[in-house]
Amino acid sequence: MQIYLPIAEIPVDPFVIVFLGAAVGFLSGMFGVGGGFLMTPLLIFYGIPPAVAVGTEASQIVASSVSGVLAHLRRRTVDFLMGGFLVAGGAVGAVAGIFIFRYFREIGQIETFISIAYVLFLGVIGVLMLTESLRALLRNPDRPRQRRKHRSAGWMAAMPFAMRFRRSGLYISPIPPIVLGFLVGVLAAIMGVGGGFIMVPAMLYILNMPTNVVVGTSLFQIIFVTAIATLLHASANQTVDIVLALMLLAGGVVGAQIGARAGRRLKGEQLRALLALIVLAVCARLLFGIALPPSAPFVVEPA
Amino acid sequence: MRQFIVLICCFFSSAAHADAIAIALTDDLIEVDADFSGADLTLFGAVSGVDDPASAFDIIAVITGPNGAYNVRPLEQRGIIWMPGDAFRLDNVPRFYAASSTRSITDIAPLPDQAKFQLGIENIAAVDLRASEGSGYPYRAALLETLEFQGQYREALGEVSFVKGPLFTIKTALPPKTPVGEYAVSVYLYQAGVLIGRDSAELRVNRVGLERRIYELAHTRPILYGLLCVAVSLLAGWIAGVAFRKS
Repeated sequence: MQIYLPIAEIPVDPFVIVFLGAAVGFLSGMFGVGGGFLMTPLLIFYGIPPAVAVGTEASQIVASSVSGVLAHLRRRTVDFLMGGFLVAGGAVGAVAGIFIFRYFREIGQIETFISIAYVLFLGVIGVLMLTESLRALLRNPDRPRQRRKHRSAGWMAAMPFAMRFRRSGLYISPIPPIVLGFLVGVLAAIMGVGGGFIMVPAMLYILNMPTNVVVGTSLFQIIFVTAIATLLHASANQTVDIVLALMLLAGGVVGAQIGARAGRRLKGEQLRALLALIVLAVCARLLFGIALPPSAPFVVEPA
Repeated sequence: MRQFIVLICCFFSSAAHADAIAIALTDDLIEVDADFSGADLTLFGAVSGVDDPASAFDIIAVITGPNGAYNVRPLEQRGIIWMPGDAFRLDNVPRFYAASSTRSITDIAPLPDQAKFQLGIENIAAVDLRASEGSGYPYRAALLETLEFQGQYREALGEVSFVKGPLFTIKTALPPKTPVGEYAVSVYLYQAGVLIGRDSAELRVNRVGLERRIYELAHTRPILYGLLCVAVSLLAGWIAGVAFRKS
């Protein structure tokens, strides 16, 4: 059975796509990550045009983040004020990202650009995660772990417009969250990722936000930024395939539930080491794709 | 079968034009919908004024899709990666091409005819680039090779079969990636290397159904489509979140 995708303009096997959604959903439920950074490359490997993979994945992340944020809203673990500044920065970042994306699409280098961006992004994140989790796994269990201090860094309070973020218990300037939001917005637009990967560690270690509000606030920001990215990709590039997005989502929500259950049986360090290996495998596959001699000496594309 | 009878009527009524070949399509409209996975196209035809058509005549049928431009880029090694270099643009290239013939085209038609009627993949859009065989030639060769590899271009023998006496059919397959637009079907009748008759028909490949509506909305009203995508995603995510609330 085949379904013809209206925007990607290719026929796909719906079972493969739903399965792909479920597999990435499983991993994202297990590891508590969005999964965009895995889904976009997998869609490209499957044969979806890279520009469509990025645009479509942005819309799928909107959906998966909405279902994720609902639980956090009920638990009141979303810092709306902080989220608002992150969204403000993210909106500008998404617009900037779309301009970068369009530029590379016009000069015909978007596929190379997306591949390089992913190789760098996945390579750095994968290596950092792997070393961190291996160090944690090998750490002497007798020695107590260092406790993280909950206090905002002085330099962020010293910046202009410092204000109180009550739910995060911070007194800092809104400039660092706006800058962080901007960077993640650029990534969302050019790579089709939510950016939780960057956002969560940055909120924890740079903004010093308490752990309990980090995930909810990050999801809150991701919804808005990926929604803006979806709208921009759809209106500027016509690269959002809603049929593809819905098939991925159908698999994704089921996969995420199963993954979340499976994840409870593994220790955090083991999970992170496993995820790091998956990230590095995808990175290596992309790197081989652009570094090995091509099978054909020319690329042919409709103009 | 009904078309077939209509065809025979048409054929005899047009016999006055003294063209030695006439064709008709079973479908002049191919619809691409969400579960389109390719289509079979059957062409009926008849030759006139011959007793034993199968041995004495040769037929070439050419189906040409809508034209478009292509960019061909050479892959160049920069540092450790391979990336596409400057584009060479080829205009007026058919996005689909299929040729069916009773024997090899080079055995049937003389060279000038092959170029004139674009008989065979090698002769597609040849005019401008063949003239200057220099710099453009490798790009053109790469384009033809790629489109043939992707199934957009094909050449086949044995798809022409004689049914009975002067009647023949040509069965050809349209691939799942058949581009939409206007198609021209041309049939050429050759005898001993001389063109003695030709006929043509038109074919349309259309998008239909939900697939078409989505495509058209996305391209004619992109902002509305973008808003709808966001709304659908929000709704789908909310439904999923509520559905799995207990677990």
